[in-house]
Amino acid sequence: METLAVYVPRLITTKEYFAPGHRACMGCGEALAVRLVCKALGRNVIIANATGCMEIVSSPLPYTSWEVPWIHTLFENAAAVASGIEAGIKVLRRKGKYSKKPKVVAMAGDGGTADIGFQALSGAFERGHEFIYICFDNEAYMNTGIQRSSATPFGASTTTSPAGKVSIGQATWKKNMPAIAVAHDIPYVATACPSYPFDLMNKISKAIKIEGPAYIHILSVCPTGWRLPADLTIRAGRLAVETGIFPLYEVEEGKYVLNVDFPRLRPVEDYFKLQGRFRHLTQEVIAQIQERVTAEYTRLREKAARVRDNE
Amino acid sequence: MIEIRWHGRGGQGAVTSAELLALAAISEGKFAQAFPSFGPERRGAPVLVFNRVSPNSPIRARVSVAHPDIVIVLDPGLLYITDVTSGLKEDGILVLNTPKSLVEIRSELSGPWRLAVVNATSIAREMIGVPIVNTTMLGALARATRIVELDSLTEPILERFGARARGNVDACRKAYEETETGEPAGIVPKRPKIFEGEELPTWQELLPGCVLTKPGSARQYRTGDWRSERPVWDHQRCIKCGICYLFCPEGCVKQTKEGYFEADLYYCKGCGICARECWTEAIKMVEE
Repeated sequence: METLAVYVPRLITTKEYFAPGHRACMGCGEALAVRLVCKALGRNVIIANATGCMEIVSSPLPYTSWEVPWIHTLFENAAAVASGIEAGIKVLRRKGKYSKKPKVVAMAGDGGTADIGFQALSGAFERGHEFIYICFDNEAYMNTGIQRSSATPFGASTTTSPAGKVSIGQATWKKNMPAIAVAHDIPYVATACPSYPFDLMNKISKAIKIEGPAYIHILSVCPTGWRLPADLTIRAGRLAVETGIFPLYEVEEGKYVLNVDFPRLRPVEDYFKLQGRFRHLTQEVIAQIQERVTAEYTRLREKAARVRDNE
Repeated sequence: MIEIRWHGRGGQGAVTSAELLALAAISEGKFAQAFPSFGPERRGAPVLVFNRVSPNSPIRARVSVAHPDIVIVLDPGLLYITDVTSGLKEDGILVLNTPKSLVEIRSELSGPWRLAVVNATSIAREMIGVPIVNTTMLGALARATRIVELDSLTEPILERFGARARGNVDACRKAYEETETGEPAGIVPKRPKIFEGEELPTWQELLPGCVLTKPGSARQYRTGDWRSERPVWDHQRCIKCGICYLFCPEGCVKQTKEGYFEADLYYCKGCGICARECWTEAIKMVEE
């Protein structure tokens, strides 16, 4: 027993840069993701945070949960503000007026990334700023009460894509943000999930060392919006990975690596049946989703295999 | 016109019950309103909901209720974090969900208004199976104030809850039977304690651009009273692996000197992730 003792506290810092007392819903997967990301980022960062759940719950005036320099931006310009901070630091350093080199981090939800902040993000990638962009994807606008975003998965019921007699819920497929980031030819793209905490923190540590833009897409389970019990947050995230709906991979200089691979994927139904937002799905629709998930996962696996074969 | 203010928490169904009350009043031929007031509240955070009921004339007012005739508190913990009696009229009535008896509550909280208490949490657990007390408190409200007949509530509840309606109707009836009401105590109001939020800075003290200079100041903010269940560690089964520490969204699980873990109950919201993820099932969630 002694050899087993105290695993986790030895492996990660016990410093908290995202202080308790934030007002996230109980069981919030996104708050957990932010907490783990902040642990991995450490002290030497400047964060630009777009509007969204994490901004609202962490900074109701006059309180703040952040223990690192943090600026609240609008929905659409987290990447633009981060670009400005990075460029400013660069100039000040060149002029010899500033000697430190903090890492610039932009954070946003899926709405702030895939919908509203999309062009600012694309611009920042194209200009090649040295920053990390982290998308906390909870698959809808949870902050304002569960409205669909372009990152909402096919078949999910939200308040603006409600399931009913005719509608099956969200009628379009989830926008593939990591693939769009890869298409910008940036040095580092990764997906992560707080249900795999060490994988997540390793990816952040890797992204800090990248010279150029890095994009990390984190699936953040939302018990309120996904309609599942608060204690199943971690399990739901794990099932998203095990069913292949949200595979964990990283793309370094265009080379794909699948971080967690399974010889056989679990059926997507295992993931769906936990969640109220998918409760209405019929077997046909589930089969349709299963087909697409399997095809996409196979494609991803082939990309990763090609890299392995070349090396 | 009778004005009502509900104190609940996000997710407890205060909005729903206010709507049901309005529907019940309307079905009796009265005029009624129901509307919530909230900012960025989350599941578990305190929320306010309002009702207006008028027996014979249409209601023109559209503003929130500042001086209610009736205050209903869905969550016992709210008594200690907000001044629920704020603005309550002297001949008003305070309806509380609490496990405490009328006498005990009197010693904590007394004022010129009447008081009604019911242990709605235990009724809801028994009749519905979950500690969601909104429909239960409707029964208590009907008993304490006679604002609507108990039978008028049945139809709206059946319509709203469909398959789960039976338990809600039963809980509502049981609360109607078990509610205790007390006459005015006639004592000068005394507050149970100083409420958080009273030490907030004034607008003159805030920096331009809403700049906050104290990192992590949210640590002052208590989220522990959102909780209905708390985690308890069994040291016999605990292998000190720290998974609970790792997966806590609040970051409120701490390691003690002996190497065991415990939750800081000032922050713990009672989500139950630690209990669910514990490999050795050393953590149990216990009702508050």
